[in-house]
Amino acid sequence: MNPAQVLLFAVGGLSNAAYLFIVAAGLSLVFGALRVINMAHGSLYMIAAFVTVVVAEKLGLAFGFWSGLLAALIITGVIGAIIEIVVLRRVYRAEHLVQLLGTYALTLIIAGLVRIIFGPNYRTVKSPALFTGSVSLAGFSYSVYSFFMIGAAIVIAAGVYVMLYRTALGRNIRAAVSDPELLSASGIDVARLFTTVFVIGACLAALGGVIVAPSQAVGSSMDTDVLVLAFAISVIGGLGSIVGSLVGSVIVGEVYSFGLQYAVTNQFALAFVFIIMAAVLIIRPWGLFGTPEQ
Amino acid sequence: MIPLIRNPLRWAVLAAAALLIVAACGGGGTTTGTTTFKGTKKLGLSTTISGVSALYGKAISQSVKLAVDDVNARGGVNGYKIEAVILDDNTDVNKAVQNTQQLILQENVVAMIGQVLSSQCQATSPISKQNKVVVIAPICNSYQLTTEPDLINPYYVSIVPNTYMEGTSAGTLAGKLGAKRIFIVSPNYLFGRSETNAFVAALKKANPSAEIANSESTWYVPFPTNPRWDSTINAIQATKPDLVYSNIFAADQQNFIKQAQGVDPDFFKKYPMTTLSSVDDLSTLASSYPLGMHLYMRAPFFALSNSRMDDFVKRYRARYNEYPSDWAVMSYDAVQVWAKATGAAGSFDSAQVLKQLVGKSFQSLRGYSFTIRPGDQQANVGETIGTTADSGGKYPFPTLKEVTNLKGDDIMMPLTLMNELRDGKCEKGGDPKTTDFALCPSWKA
Repeated sequence: MNPAQVLLFAVGGLSNAAYLFIVAAGLSLVFGALRVINMAHGSLYMIAAFVTVVVAEKLGLAFGFWSGLLAALIITGVIGAIIEIVVLRRVYRAEHLVQLLGTYALTLIIAGLVRIIFGPNYRTVKSPALFTGSVSLAGFSYSVYSFFMIGAAIVIAAGVYVMLYRTALGRNIRAAVSDPELLSASGIDVARLFTTVFVIGACLAALGGVIVAPSQAVGSSMDTDVLVLAFAISVIGGLGSIVGSLVGSVIVGEVYSFGLQYAVTNQFALAFVFIIMAAVLIIRPWGLFGTPEQ
Repeated sequence: MIPLIRNPLRWAVLAAAALLIVAACGGGGTTTGTTTFKGTKKLGLSTTISGVSALYGKAISQSVKLAVDDVNARGGVNGYKIEAVILDDNTDVNKAVQNTQQLILQENVVAMIGQVLSSQCQATSPISKQNKVVVIAPICNSYQLTTEPDLINPYYVSIVPNTYMEGTSAGTLAGKLGAKRIFIVSPNYLFGRSETNAFVAALKKANPSAEIANSESTWYVPFPTNPRWDSTINAIQATKPDLVYSNIFAADQQNFIKQAQGVDPDFFKKYPMTTLSSVDDLSTLASSYPLGMHLYMRAPFFALSNSRMDDFVKRYRARYNEYPSDWAVMSYDAVQVWAKATGAAGSFDSAQVLKQLVGKSFQSLRGYSFTIRPGDQQANVGETIGTTADSGGKYPFPTLKEVTNLKGDDIMMPLTLMNELRDGKCEKGGDPKTTDFALCPSWKA
């Protein structure tokens, strides 16, 4: 493999890592603050992708994608708030198994509703005009949209970092992770804070769904497709750690991209992701950048 | 007695409920329109209403409903009304097995329409064999299902061009195109391996100098796949083949095409592609589906126009507001084939129905009649090949130009080859796991 090919496969891995990071970051943020493993996270991602397609179909390509982005964030945010208030508040103190079952039930309900509302047909939407086309580099073509995905992931990563470490909201979220009772005693409305965190997590899932929509067929199985990998990333990086999600998604994206290129590793490319996850669970169960649960 | 009829509305409701209960319990005959039926018999279908192949399951279930309604409008089968019992298998093998057990053991279906994935048919065939339930397979198509001794099921009939027929057709086509370096991408399960194997064997025969650009272990991608195809697309760029052969389908094909065009709008001009496709794939991507692609298709309505097909398309569109896919055409045929054979048998007994299926001919929507060959119980159905072209506004998706409708008799596996496979003459060192028709003496000859 020559350097140009290494670059080609590395960029391919990074574009995979980009949308996976956006989704996994939401999953991780929710777990870190609320200590809930949200199985419905993939469902929110799927809803956002469908909303983008429908809005883009109605409004046309020029503004459709961006209007779809806005509509998807609003709709998914509202659904996220409803889920947190109606379902999650009742299971915060329950065992993780109950939380898992509760949010898994939501995935089944949402999958059914998506099929009823949007139908089983796959839908497609074109990339926004600004990010259409390709660039040539060292003899190979690269999709401009792939670079947009990578750029969007970097901006979102920076945004989440600033929100967590440079704002009052972030300070409260980090305090809630450490000691929610103490935070509540200091006058902060922890219930509202948890709703806010869950809505932010839902919006990150939505961003992932919107950003991925122009590059793949939008269908009713995309919830589980992304959830499995998002969980693997969160476990590798450490549930609750945004930096961990970033590193985990790059590991998963690159392992898959390069793994498929070699005859000896091709059939195990996806398995390697889970082998790494298993190894992390054995050696460092709280993940590469996570912290042990107290 | 007077108080009992004081509320006539209540009595009307009770009477209606009683009638419903009697009807539900199968008491007496049922009446639909002007036809009085002796009762109801169930036809089972487990299909991919959700999951990766949901696109196909929708068309199949719609078509089966339409076909069953048509059968009932003609008076049903043997005086019985037919009811389609349709279950979702989520494009999952285990769920297909559960559904088949439920349909046979709990719903008491008299026959079944086969599943979508070859791996599903492979797993469910022993159940129908054990319970002696006729299966008409219009979609799953690995030739091993009707030739491999361990899988042979006397109650299983295939009315879809199988992987031998498709793979060798595609291989011969690629050989004639003069491609020297070919990149292969295929789903890693029974269907993909079976069809790719047939493609390579036929290619080598048609053009011995052709070479496969990627190593064999990279031909197959995990199935169901990761929806991202960057790695495969990049590998094609790195390999620079002069033809890409694929039999990926549904969401996988759409994702691959979309992402490849994102990388380079001229991707499929630089790397021409021969691939399995369907009306569903064309209509989903619509104007984004690349022109100039070499497709092989099982039953595209637009290339098989005839009075029956045209009438079917008209009624299907009127009912579902969409064009019927290849899967819809073949599934409609499957129900009609079963209904005709069962009617001719005058019985729902599987053994009697089989006598009216095997060796018999049936009229197809595809514009010809096909015969179910004794031996492998494979119908001599054709395959359509052509190159994608703009339909000129006739349809909201591209269709084919330079169309050739290959005849089933010309592409079927020769009986000699089939018998050699069954007799274990196509293995390496007597290991049945290495069975490959390209190793058969008659193929080598």
